[in-house]
Amino acid sequence: MNAENVKSQMRKGALEYCILLLLKKEAAYTSDIIQKLQEAKLIVVEGTLYPLLTRLKNSELLSYQWIESTQGPPRKYYKLTEKGEIFLNELEISWQELNDTINHIRNN
Amino acid sequence: MKKTLTVNLGGTVFHIDEDAYQLLDKYLSNLRIHFGKEEGTDEIMSDFELRISEILNERVRLGNEVITIEHVESVIKRMGKVEELFDEEPVSSAGYKQTHHTADEAGKERVSRRLFRNPDDRILGGVCGGLAAYLGWDPTPARLLIFLLMFFFGIIIPIYFILWLIIPMAHTATEKLQMRGESITVENIGKTVTDGFERVSSNVNDYISSGKPRTALQRIADGLVDILGAILKVVAVLIGIILFPPLLFVLFIMFIVIIALVAGGVGGGFGLLYHLMPSADWNMLNQYPEWTLLIAGICTVLLIGIPVISILYAVCSRIFKFKPLPDGVKWALLAFWFIALILNIFFVVRYGIPFWGDLNHWHWTPSCWRNIVQMLQV
Repeated sequence: MNAENVKSQMRKGALEYCILLLLKKEAAYTSDIIQKLQEAKLIVVEGTLYPLLTRLKNSELLSYQWIESTQGPPRKYYKLTEKGEIFLNELEISWQELNDTINHIRNN
Repeated sequence: MKKTLTVNLGGTVFHIDEDAYQLLDKYLSNLRIHFGKEEGTDEIMSDFELRISEILNERVRLGNEVITIEHVESVIKRMGKVEELFDEEPVSSAGYKQTHHTADEAGKERVSRRLFRNPDDRILGGVCGGLAAYLGWDPTPARLLIFLLMFFFGIIIPIYFILWLIIPMAHTATEKLQMRGESITVENIGKTVTDGFERVSSNVNDYISSGKPRTALQRIADGLVDILGAILKVVAVLIGIILFPPLLFVLFIMFIVIIALVAGGVGGGFGLLYHLMPSADWNMLNQYPEWTLLIAGICTVLLIGIPVISILYAVCSRIFKFKPLPDGVKWALLAFWFIALILNIFFVVRYGIPFWGDLNHWHWTPSCWRNIVQMLQV
């Protein structure tokens, strides 16, 4: 048990929630999602994201369409599905609960 | 000057250096092995390829006509090394680690180790490395022990070479896992392949190896092993030089004997038999037709010759790295041998053993033995 391990586990737990949050605001290219997550220091390397996006897509929480690009091959443009929005709401509630729990323990 | 290849990566054509191509190819196949257990592997892989293609495309637009190994290295750094990705991987990582642990614990009890020569940890033939893996030791003490024993028990040296000949090399990932007694799972195979990859590439680029610094002790041990390896190799060469001429001589003699047997043919063979066993009733031969004797002789030569030559060839191919015989030839030899065997049995049953003669006339007299001894002395 070391701190790095626990920290990365916590980050992993939050990753899917954060992806859904990002896409709730606006649809985005994969590269945009990566950039934002890297800015937020949630991921370090890009490769982490692709299996995750595919998994979310396969669970029908996300969908994508191919958008032509002027420079290079067409790219995937991800957006949240209805099912994804319901899922996100559930996650927000449980995140809030978790937050409350931690605050409660912290302050007592 | 470097050779370049043309590849289609995510729908874009790139010119890529050969070494860069190999690195990228290994990286992608390692990823595939790791994702292999998941659904949607193809899609994940095509995402990876598309992204890599995008990044490389930027390079091309900046004026790099050819993708070099540095470009690929920076791409891998950006995408994440295989080990990084699979420590960070969200869903499966917890499960992965758990199954890994249980597999390790259960593996130690259940999976029986198999003895292989270790190709990844070898100085001479990998015998010590393999033995160490089999016994669960560190290879260095095993080597030191063998090396020290060598001074007290000279027999260790030929035993080493015999083990080298007999124990097979662990070639596949499965065999390497069996060698270490780890259970054969997709994760473990993937790990083995990745490990091998890192070991290969660490000679050229150290960026992909897990940057653990080597301690002074390890470096000293490495140095010792290197020196030991050099000494062992010198010893092996010396032994080889000493053993080689007599070995060659023996092989040469055997070859000559076989040639003589075939060339001398039936007549020579029977002459030899006649010389060995003068008391046999050789006149009996006259009552058989000549072609029977000829065929019987050829069959006898084949019956003895094929196994002898095969064994010789097998030994030679191990020592001198001959190509093994093609399967067709092996089957043909086996078929000939069986035909010879059947025909011989047929002749024995049909005619009896000709030179046996009348059993009443046949005595194992001292003179007979003397003849045999004389023959051997010649």
